[in-house]
Amino acid sequence: MSTLEQYGLLVGLAMGTVGFVLGLYALARGLGKARQEPGKDVPATGGQMSREPVWVRYHARYYGYALLFLAFDMEMAFMYPWAVVYKQEGVVALLDMGVFLAVLFLGLLYGWSQGALRRQ
Amino acid sequence: MIAGARQGKLSGLRRLTALAMARDLRAFIVPGADIARAHGLDIEAAGMQVVASPRHASVLLVVGVIPPALREAAAVIYAQMMRPRALFVLGPDELDQLPEADIREDLSQQDLIRGVRRLRSAFAEGAFRPDVADFDAPVLHVRIQYTCPMHPEVVQDEPGSCPKCGMNLVAREAPATAGHTHADQPELIVDADTHATPAQDHAAQHGMNHDAPAEYTCPMHPEVVQNEPGSCPECGMNLELRETKGTKSHEDAGISPDSDHSSMDHNHMDHGDMAFMSMVGVTKDLPRSSDGLPMDWIDVPFGPFFPGLPGGLLLTLTLDGDTVAGSSVQTPGGNEELLQHSALDAGSFIERLAKVEPLAPVSYRLLACRATENAAGVEVPAATACARVGALERERIASHLGWLALFGQQTGFDWLQRCAASLQLKVQNAGIRQVLALKPDIAFLIKRLHRTPLLKSRTAGVGRLAPNAALRGPVARAAGIGNDARSTDPSYAALGFTPVCREGCDALARLQVRVEEITHGLALIVAAGAIELPAPINIGEASGAGEAAVETPRGVARLRLTLEKGRVTAAQLETPSTLHLALIDPLIKQLALGDALLAIGSLDLAPWEVRQ
Amino acid sequence: MTTVLVLLLLLAAGTYLVAVLEAWTASGRFRLAGPVVAGIALLGREFIVPRKPDRIFFEVAPVLLLLSALLAAAVVPLTPDLIITDLATGALFINAALVYVLVALLMAGWGPNGAYAMIGGWRFLGQLIAYAMLIVMPITAVVMRAESLLTTRIVASQAGLWNIVYQPLGFMLFFVAAMALAFLPPFDLPTAKAELAGGVEAEYSGVRLAIFRLGRLALIVTLAAAAVVFYLGGWQGPWLPPWAWSAIKILAVCATMLLAGRAMPRVRDADLLHWCWILGIPLALLNIFLVGLLVLVLP
Repeated sequence: MSTLEQYGLLVGLAMGTVGFVLGLYALARGLGKARQEPGKDVPATGGQMSREPVWVRYHARYYGYALLFLAFDMEMAFMYPWAVVYKQEGVVALLDMGVFLAVLFLGLLYGWSQGALRRQ
Repeated sequence: MIAGARQGKLSGLRRLTALAMARDLRAFIVPGADIARAHGLDIEAAGMQVVASPRHASVLLVVGVIPPALREAAAVIYAQMMRPRALFVLGPDELDQLPEADIREDLSQQDLIRGVRRLRSAFAEGAFRPDVADFDAPVLHVRIQYTCPMHPEVVQDEPGSCPKCGMNLVAREAPATAGHTHADQPELIVDADTHATPAQDHAAQHGMNHDAPAEYTCPMHPEVVQNEPGSCPECGMNLELRETKGTKSHEDAGISPDSDHSSMDHNHMDHGDMAFMSMVGVTKDLPRSSDGLPMDWIDVPFGPFFPGLPGGLLLTLTLDGDTVAGSSVQTPGGNEELLQHSALDAGSFIERLAKVEPLAPVSYRLLACRATENAAGVEVPAATACARVGALERERIASHLGWLALFGQQTGFDWLQRCAASLQLKVQNAGIRQVLALKPDIAFLIKRLHRTPLLKSRTAGVGRLAPNAALRGPVARAAGIGNDARSTDPSYAALGFTPVCREGCDALARLQVRVEEITHGLALIVAAGAIELPAPINIGEASGAGEAAVETPRGVARLRLTLEKGRVTAAQLETPSTLHLALIDPLIKQLALGDALLAIGSLDLAPWEVRQ
Repeated sequence: MTTVLVLLLLLAAGTYLVAVLEAWTASGRFRLAGPVVAGIALLGREFIVPRKPDRIFFEVAPVLLLLSALLAAAVVPLTPDLIITDLATGALFINAALVYVLVALLMAGWGPNGAYAMIGGWRFLGQLIAYAMLIVMPITAVVMRAESLLTTRIVASQAGLWNIVYQPLGFMLFFVAAMALAFLPPFDLPTAKAELAGGVEAEYSGVRLAIFRLGRLALIVTLAAAAVVFYLGGWQGPWLPPWAWSAIKILAVCATMLLAGRAMPRVRDADLLHWCWILGIPLALLNIFLVGLLVLVLP
């Protein structure tokens, strides 16, 4: 199978899944429509009608981690190709990546010392 | 047949789904699983699964008496359930806001099981019906208000045009009023009445700024600025008064009155002299979090029927992200009319007090018995007093096990929840032999609890309460205060009682105190050698004043009463939960949501005994 | 084509068994017909969209959750031939597909405009920041040994010694991270019953809820299958045919994942982040370093 065919298959799988879901929705819809009644579509909060919108500037308390995460996630993009050729390249590869990871790890330690690794 | 059926004829595939629904009953319990267990009900053993959201429920299971203030909330839950939905009422209660119950049974496990059987056939035959009617209740409707898109302070009940700019007013839903906390002022809990007129306050502030140099500008064209009122040369709208730059009186006065959330969108654009998309402009009125960032805060109700809190407790949290910035607590289930009645004979009074608090009926029965006996000057035989200790300790064990089940539920510790709940059901009405037979099971639970990973780190330091006079019961004893009404009780002294004390002041210490009290309770029952429910002793036509204190599972409850010719004419009750309720707000401030709920749970509140 | 169908049927069967297992661990009752009854019942119930929703987010989320599980499963081999597509970037593709779990949960949280759901969604973003590195870093170490991203090659590389022995540290980190990714207890922060009354699931009803739960179950199976391929030698094993080994191992991993969390309280989100970053990531880096040495030293 060529790579293109492989991706074609994956697209087909995705389409099939969506089709399956839509089929189920159609079946469920065929059993009847949901009745619109007062209060029914208000999000449930333990018996209180809370109609206020909740889409707000949400305070994600983990933003310190999130910034570090960006750095680490980028680094992983380099790690995969490196991992594949690692054995061929031998010790050189270990040293190359070792230095890179050491720098990154120092960054993690620095972030920790500056209080980035906690709930803000 | 069920009233909440789906519309349609029962045929073909619908019949199949109806059969599946009949086998797969999912119940949302009102007021809560704790009450159901206190009534001796095992919902899962009866064949229903308990769910956390009304969206996932097909049965609304109403257990016991629902106070009028909670019936509205029950109606909201019912309205938010998906059809087909059934209303299953256990007990004699009439629920005015809800439709007629589909199945009604008495409050007992057998009746519950019979009701579930009836429910299954009702679903199998009546999940779909050609004729169904909408469910409606007054609480489900919103008041529509009309407001100006440019001037959020203009709010009226009738459509029309804005007195400031002449634009047509647009309809919007009136914001909810219950327990609303203002965004800028988390510590201020505003009740419904004072909250009703925020817009006017805001308008008044606008109008009062006579000293500031005034400018008039067009809301749509900020480049149009002049010193006199008039209309805009570009669009003809009325010009609007604004303060010139440099006068900060507007900001200093605080914008809190109109920063409730339904007007938040307007609020951001309310200030013409800020650049439209500037982050500074958008966020300048927002409340500051503990780390100094301006964020939107939202008010979220938790309860009165929330799976992680005692049933009947209405908690409204102002959340900054998932951190609690403020809170207000209400107990719509609290009983106020109990003692405001005409004189009752002592027997009925005792029965009545025993029903005050479904979570600890024995304690309150004992309290009423002791107070009447004290008033009448009757001495109780030592053997009876001893057997009463057995009953009280059995209730304490059952209550603490019930608390452990809620704790297991809150922390997602399934095994603990199930194990503690089933033990509670077995203990709470057991005779002395059965209680002793359950000893190894309870010991196993406690042993396993001590070895559970993560439990310490999850609870240590959460909900720290410094020792103070408002603490009662296990909460006080977990803070190192050894006050326990049992210490002064002669029948306890005869059994060799010493109170359990810890110094931790946090949720872990409260957990340890309760667990240890379970063990102590078992020892006390063994020493007492009998369990007997407190029964009223004939006091005849006695008169006098009396008082009594009983260490309920939640702390000491005191009752003062006056007897006149064998009838109770006045009574005063002091309960532990009433005091603990006031501790909640400072206790949970700046805690993460999960920790906040755990901290509240660790107080073991009983909303029913709260006096309003 | 038949391979695809067979695999999808096997995945469905595995998902079903996991559903039975989950109901068993959750309620203590073993009912073989339980999930199918629950599924049909959900089909017959009403499903609504809450008021003022983000309609697209709300509708897409359950489908996306199912889709990301299925796409990740597509590159996981049950036997050398029983694989939907042996993509050259297989191990990376699993990662890529599983990231959409986060997107799905964030959408499910944001979509209905309800407070409980939204907090659940944002909580899961924090959870991703905690577990994500512990998924990708151990996989890197696996790839280093196999010298290939092909999943079939990864299984073949474990012929002499399974990776669970070769790099036990990596397995432990991956296993915990996989549980966090599938939001299984004790990492069920986005759906916590008693903290958020269902959280991201709270506003889904009827058939949409059925799809959401199906996606979640498929995700558990997929993650277990990935753990088997990366660490437990895939289809390798004596006596039994390869497919049977794969099936047994996958179900065993599923059962362990489902049971592990029932005996402890839920992890606090702040603690999860803290431990993942100050302990998990250094350990994962150490694992890469150790595997690097082993790969060079061992023949």
